[in-house]
Amino acid sequence: MSETAVIPHSPTEVWKLPSRGIVAMACLILAESAIFIIFVVAYVFYIGKSVSGPTPREVLELPIFSSICLLSSSLTVHFAVSALHDSKRGMCSLWLGLTVLLGGIFLAATAREWYQLIYHDGLTIKTNLFGTTYYSLVGLHATHVVVGLFMLSLALLFSLRGGLTSNHTERLEVLSLYWHFVDAVWIVVFLVVYVLGR
Amino acid sequence: MATQTPVTAILDKTPASPPRRLLFQVLHDWLTTLDHKKIGLMYIVYALIFLVIGGLEAVLMRIQLAIPNNHFVSPETFNRLFTMHGTTMVFFVGMPILFGFGNYLIPLMIGARDMAFPRLNAFSFWISAFGGTLLYFSYVGGSGLYGAGSAPDVGWFAYAPLTAHVFSPGHSTDYWTLAVLLSGVGTVGTAVNIVATTLCMRCPGMKLSRMPLLVWLYLITSFMVFVTISPLTAAQIMLMLDRYVGSHFFDTQAGGSAVLWMHFFWIFGHPEVYILVLPAFAFANEIIPVFSRKAIFGYPAMAAASVCIGFISLSVWAHHMFTVGMGPGANTFFTLSTMIISVPTGIKIFNWLATLWGGKIQFTTAMLFAIGFLFQFLIAGLTGIMLSVSPFNWQLSASYFVIAHFHYVLVGAILFMIFSAFYYWYPKITGRMLNERLGKWHFWLFLIGFHLTFDFMHIPGLLGMPRRVYTYEADRGWMMWNMIVSSGAIVQTAGTLLFVFNMVRSYFKGAIAGADPWDAWTLEWSTTSPPPEYNFAVTPSVASRRPLWDLKHPEDPDGNYE
Amino acid sequence: MQNDHRSDEAHVIQLPAPTAWPMILALGVSLILAGMVTHLVVGLLGLVLTVAGGLGWFFQVLPHEAHESVAVRTEEVQIVSRRTLSEREALAVTHRKILPVETFHITTGIKGGIAGGIAMTIPAALFSILRYHSIWYAMNLLAAGGFISWAGASDAFLSEFHLQGFLAALAIHGLTSLLVGLLYGAMLPMFPRYPILTAGFISPLLFTGILHSALNILSPILNQRIDWFWFVLSQIAFGLVCGFVVNLQVKVRTPQFQALPFAIRAGIHSDLTERTYDEARHSDERDSPK
Repeated sequence: MSETAVIPHSPTEVWKLPSRGIVAMACLILAESAIFIIFVVAYVFYIGKSVSGPTPREVLELPIFSSICLLSSSLTVHFAVSALHDSKRGMCSLWLGLTVLLGGIFLAATAREWYQLIYHDGLTIKTNLFGTTYYSLVGLHATHVVVGLFMLSLALLFSLRGGLTSNHTERLEVLSLYWHFVDAVWIVVFLVVYVLGR
Repeated sequence: MATQTPVTAILDKTPASPPRRLLFQVLHDWLTTLDHKKIGLMYIVYALIFLVIGGLEAVLMRIQLAIPNNHFVSPETFNRLFTMHGTTMVFFVGMPILFGFGNYLIPLMIGARDMAFPRLNAFSFWISAFGGTLLYFSYVGGSGLYGAGSAPDVGWFAYAPLTAHVFSPGHSTDYWTLAVLLSGVGTVGTAVNIVATTLCMRCPGMKLSRMPLLVWLYLITSFMVFVTISPLTAAQIMLMLDRYVGSHFFDTQAGGSAVLWMHFFWIFGHPEVYILVLPAFAFANEIIPVFSRKAIFGYPAMAAASVCIGFISLSVWAHHMFTVGMGPGANTFFTLSTMIISVPTGIKIFNWLATLWGGKIQFTTAMLFAIGFLFQFLIAGLTGIMLSVSPFNWQLSASYFVIAHFHYVLVGAILFMIFSAFYYWYPKITGRMLNERLGKWHFWLFLIGFHLTFDFMHIPGLLGMPRRVYTYEADRGWMMWNMIVSSGAIVQTAGTLLFVFNMVRSYFKGAIAGADPWDAWTLEWSTTSPPPEYNFAVTPSVASRRPLWDLKHPEDPDGNYE
Repeated sequence: MQNDHRSDEAHVIQLPAPTAWPMILALGVSLILAGMVTHLVVGLLGLVLTVAGGLGWFFQVLPHEAHESVAVRTEEVQIVSRRTLSEREALAVTHRKILPVETFHITTGIKGGIAGGIAMTIPAALFSILRYHSIWYAMNLLAAGGFISWAGASDAFLSEFHLQGFLAALAIHGLTSLLVGLLYGAMLPMFPRYPILTAGFISPLLFTGILHSALNILSPILNQRIDWFWFVLSQIAFGLVCGFVVNLQVKVRTPQFQALPFAIRAGIHSDLTERTYDEARHSDERDSPK
């Protein structure tokens, strides 16, 4: 019996398995969500427990415009994937470029907000529990935005050079999944920090 | 009666490539490899090295505690010993050895050529390995600039505020955090790989309902890794922020909460026990049926019970914190959820017993260890139920009773099953059998040593001996018990040395195993031992849970009974 | 093993090409973190290695994954197992134990539990009326296990109607009845001989025995005032009704049924156990190929 493999009779039904890229990204999103949950729990747990000011009500303003930018970039990245799927490479570049632009606006708005908080309101990560939890939660999200923007810019670069074909649809879709996740997390962060926390 | 009808099979006639001779070439092969089998082996070897180190630390502690008023090591060294022992055994022995076996076996069992992401696999291994190296580098580098201590000494769960800069100056605690962080990255990487492999790389016919239970359990373990290791990573990031940037997450002076760290740590810490024990169950699921010569009893119930364990284990963490004072509501909830988890665990034990029942049991060394596991895991579970009762826990929390309980799980169940797995899969990995005679010696020595140590360790706990105590007075009545416990540790060491000797000797002199020495039924036994780089010359296709049974018994295929 | 027929075949398997970049990336990341506890220079070295590793890895995968091809020669053979079928003791039709071919559906147990639970209230109510002239006494007694403040309550108090007592008793009684009903549904097929005796008398007596020893811990107040005669009576009422309802239901076939020989499935042979030794042996000889 040694050295024998199992009878390879031809399978009658079509053997179809899920795409490994999408499965892996789903797993990564699950793991990342757990990290975010812990930071959100810490944020919620410490709401109103700071022993000194400034408080969220005094210094935070609703970032409506930048939130709209970030959330609409979810749509544009989706259009980019469908454009690539239909082999419309020019449209794909356009949508990708728009996504990067919208993400960039969001990042710039966050940077401006932090500048305002640090230099005008005197709130740093060391100031109080609000500063600690605010900067770590928003910063963690911003880090994810930076990573996403980096990947999207790479994709844009390839797309402009003409290296992106409809064969790469699945890879771009995996990337868009990550970007959707980043946007979804922002909804949670927005609700917790700017609505519930104030 | 008659022989069977002939069946068509594929014979691999590829000439074996000549082994490389030069040391540099061999090293280059191993450093650059993406082969899941080689990476799995590196995981196992690396874990074994740390097992020896962690074991030595345990022996040093037992020598220190063997007699009262002992000063064999200094108190500072003792603190470092128990911290490093715990951290090493959980993060750098338990996880890598289990992931090593997973890496090696999963693609073979589902008929795949490699893992889904071979490069990520190599990355995950190396980052865990460097994490372990960093942890032990603290013995040399920790005192460097500050002269404030070397290795971490805050205990393996590093409670706040002991980890604050004021109480742990220097970098010793940072070494702990960073090493654990690195190992966490590697663990999540491997878990992603395992999930993607099992879901996307199965050979034709290998439906989820036909996967070997080992693969099922690794799938569940990996899902648990995502939701438990990540919180630990998050908590470690917070601790790093506290220590480096000056934030106040666990700083009680600024309104921070030390209890929050406990919650975050144990949200990781308890499911972690199940992450470690589920692979041990996985080995039992493969080994017990083969040596009982029966199919596993209740395959769907086994898979479902494992999923249940996975879910329930996420809601039991605070039974580590009954003494914190969480209030009656939380105490009741965590007592009940902890008790409920014994139901799916009980289902598993009964299914293993039912698999043994009426079987033609072969008492090979692997099977002996598996049976030892079965009984010891039962006892560990029973003391676990005792500890889940919060009033009982108030008396015995942080005593040697708790130490005895969880070592019963970690050694009596997990380590026994790991030994069993070595005896079972060593022939597949090396092509040679482990010596059974030495194996039996190893089993009995280790069994006696184990029971000497950990049965008697319950008693000083009941008599009030706290964990992590450096030394004790002679009039406490703990002396004799500690002496027995320590002598048991020596017997276990002897058993383990015998095992190491057996592995080395059998590698050169063991009997040639052949492809299928145990007459087993899963796909890994259908290829040569050791398997070629590409695992299967032709991708197999399966029609039941035991493809090799179908091949060996075409008149009575398994598919009829599933 | 004998090789009857040979057909050599050579083909190529693609495996990912070995590469050191993942290791270098891992080393880089580790060194960056190590830089935090040692020296900035170590961290910088780590950064360089991380960038190098990342780039190297990137060009391994894009635009095409680096592969190396391994040539494999295979051969198709007809094999026959060395193993011969040994003449086995034909104790049954198949050598595999076939676990329950038919069993009760899970809802059966729930139905039985509900019916038994209702039946049980009758002796309990009778007891309350005869002894304490109030229908609520037994109910309150059961509920008292859940309320610590009721521990020292008087008989008069327990004879009145209390809404929370009613709810607690409903919850305790309902849950226990359901669970025991499910147990009946699972266990009765295991004791097919005397279902009425098992369900109606043995199980209730065993259950009462267990409760008798454990009741002091579960509910001390119930333990003080319980009347074991009436208790057993209501248990038997539960057992008889629950067992009756469960046995009334139709059994469903388990997947194991598929594995039975056709004769049994078609109903020609009514039961596995009725087949004699000879019969089983004959069928074995017929089935196995010569």
